[in-house]
Amino acid sequence: MIRSALNRIFGMLVVMALVVTIVFVIVRVTPGDPAAVMLGPDATAADIASLRQRLGLDASIPQQFISYVGGVLRGDFGQSIFLNMPVTTALMQRAEPTFFLTIFALLIATLIALPVGVLSAYWRGSAFDQAATALAMFAASVPSFWLGLIFMQVFAVQLGWFDTSGYGGPGASFGERMHHLVLPATTLGLISSALITRFTRASMLDVLNDDYVRTARSKGMSEWRVVVKHALKNALIPILTVIGLTAALLISGAIVTETVFGLPGVGSLIVSAVLRRDYPLIQGALLVVAGLYVLVNFIIDMLYLLVDPRVRY
Amino acid sequence: MRHFALALATSLVALCSANGLAYAQTAGGIVDVATIGEPPTLDPMASTADLVGIVSQHMFETLYTFDAQWGTTPLLAAAMPEISEDGTVYTIPLRTGIKFHDDSVMTSADVVASLERWMKIATRGKQAAEVITDIAATDDATVTITLSKPYAPLLPLLAFNNAAAIIIPAANASQDPLESFIGTGPYKLEQRVPDQYIQLVRFDGYQSLEGEGNGYGGARHQYLDEIRFVPVPDPNTRIGAAVAGQYDYVDQLPVEAFDQISGGATEPVVFAPFGWPVFMMNHSEGLASDIRVRKAIQAALAPEDMLFAAFGSDEFFTAEGAWYPEGYAWHSDVGTEAYKPMGDTETAKALLAEAGYDGSKPLRILTSRQYEFHYKMALVAQSYLEAAGFKVQMDVVEWATLTTNRADPALWDVYITHSPFLPEPSLMGIMSDTGPGWWVSDAKHKVLEAFNAESDPAKRAELFVEVQKVIYDEVPGYKVGNFNALAAQNPALDGVTPAPWPYFWNAYLTE
Repeated sequence: MIRSALNRIFGMLVVMALVVTIVFVIVRVTPGDPAAVMLGPDATAADIASLRQRLGLDASIPQQFISYVGGVLRGDFGQSIFLNMPVTTALMQRAEPTFFLTIFALLIATLIALPVGVLSAYWRGSAFDQAATALAMFAASVPSFWLGLIFMQVFAVQLGWFDTSGYGGPGASFGERMHHLVLPATTLGLISSALITRFTRASMLDVLNDDYVRTARSKGMSEWRVVVKHALKNALIPILTVIGLTAALLISGAIVTETVFGLPGVGSLIVSAVLRRDYPLIQGALLVVAGLYVLVNFIIDMLYLLVDPRVRY
Repeated sequence: MRHFALALATSLVALCSANGLAYAQTAGGIVDVATIGEPPTLDPMASTADLVGIVSQHMFETLYTFDAQWGTTPLLAAAMPEISEDGTVYTIPLRTGIKFHDDSVMTSADVVASLERWMKIATRGKQAAEVITDIAATDDATVTITLSKPYAPLLPLLAFNNAAAIIIPAANASQDPLESFIGTGPYKLEQRVPDQYIQLVRFDGYQSLEGEGNGYGGARHQYLDEIRFVPVPDPNTRIGAAVAGQYDYVDQLPVEAFDQISGGATEPVVFAPFGWPVFMMNHSEGLASDIRVRKAIQAALAPEDMLFAAFGSDEFFTAEGAWYPEGYAWHSDVGTEAYKPMGDTETAKALLAEAGYDGSKPLRILTSRQYEFHYKMALVAQSYLEAAGFKVQMDVVEWATLTTNRADPALWDVYITHSPFLPEPSLMGIMSDTGPGWWVSDAKHKVLEAFNAESDPAKRAELFVEVQKVIYDEVPGYKVGNFNALAAQNPALDGVTPAPWPYFWNAYLTE
């Protein structure tokens, strides 16, 4: 197991090195200039050139890359051009809304998807199964920004139960901040539930026809125990994978949802950083998101090892 | 009904603004203002972005500002400057006892240090620096600015709120970027949580001018305890927020949302006319460097249809060729004959034939969808240009790319932008020889130098007519028309005067 874990850690390091390089290159070859954005529409070419020099953007791309990688290896992700603060500080400040948004969305997705998926499989071909399939297809295909705007229109604009956007003003309590997450988390959760529902159904169908399930039934075990204790337990590995991947996807899915709901999280930070061409912030944020993705995959792989000792890397 | 609602909304706002003082103003309350995003900086010297000016004008002040008629009026200066006979020496008396947010008292040393920083850092300060030979503190309460030649735009430049000549403590003047946001304004920075809010609180040491408010000038009352600027970048979310009444003021709404907002919890505020969209021409390279091609573009475009596509209803625009609308001293229709609301395809065809254009090289229009109305105007323009014989290539990029690409003359022939009506014509982008478009000509220099050297406002207005004529003769840009801006305001919020850069001193809550 230790050998497998070490192999996976080495793989993670390679992936992260590639991410650093690819993100750096893509960001630098994309047209657009942070100096021009910062100085505003009436800035002269000379002003822009002067600011580029001050920001160190006039150095060659290889020079900038070496300097950046050196910084990353020392744990220094650079300074945000627009926020005038270290990238790590900016990311830490935005971590809370994204963290809770992801947790709540995953919770909503799982609470919907697991029972619906299990029952769909159990009542395969029934009206319930067909309705659940149709709803899952709808949730999987609907764009998050559209669903978000619909929720906003109904629950914030018409009913007035929630604010349309934001994360609370100065001195907002934890409860007030969480209240702002209800609509975006529901949006993301519903969309994410589609995938988990389909995987749960498929995985349950695989195991419900297995011999050990038939054996359990023939022993007179109750249907509840058969489905939950025997079938679901064995169907959990692929479901766990999907839930883990959904968690990682949610972080990137939050980009759109956070923008629509004006949540100051990592997602909206990435969007504004891209629009402003805040190079260090784009690089740092994407590195963190990629790191989380890789980490979640690593955790899933390790859980596989624990659940099924036959698995080796 | 729609006409009536629009008229009512506009009249209500005008009425409230005009008679604002007739209501009982009470001190207190917090106002939340939804803005189009997070300003790239809070240093108003460092950026020409409007959003920077909107927020920072509550914290920082300049020596002069603009009154309701867009004339310059003293703010931190005690009076209008005394100008020497030859127009090269400006002696500016300062108000005394003015406190900064750190409770230090403003002196001429602070003013000199601030203006020196402005000349070094700010785009508009650098423009002024070309003619400023010296800035000196004559005594504690007087500053003298010496110029190499008469330069009338100096006062508007000192008064403008973006790339602004703000006055800060001398001790902070060496900061670049600015880290201590200490000004003399009626509100001071309490907290900034980027992308969440900028919290400004009343500065108790503020010394307002006496009397009534007058545009950006006059008295600045501090009725509100706090002003919070909240970024809401998505326009659909801003519309939803305006209908729900979540914010006291929602800035920059798409005008087509007028009906939706009229039925919501906040009232629509129409600012008419707000500004002008413009098609900038590339004089340096490519097709538009030929004046006959530029004139063909000018003839081909049909602004009425372009504006209709962009703003949906003629309640929100005016097809007008004069570079300034009525109400501005600079307004004149003289020289605008080439502006045809429905276009003139035949003339355009003749001009193209004269230019020897064979359609092999496309006319490249650089635009973005950051402002949807730019894109919609471009689509209509494309049809009219093609009808006149142009082959058109639309380069639709996002805004940050556009700001980079427009600086490269090899990449475009026409690019689309817009601006509010600037109080001083010399501040318009086309007036700069080095700005994207690179309009340089003897005729331009001749009329502009005469305009800039004249200090008498009435004579300057006459001289601007000559500038406008040359603009139509040489077509450095094509002004499409005038358009209105839409915002939304809490009915309980009063004392807000519609302005291109909205401000909230003198504003108060009535409930």
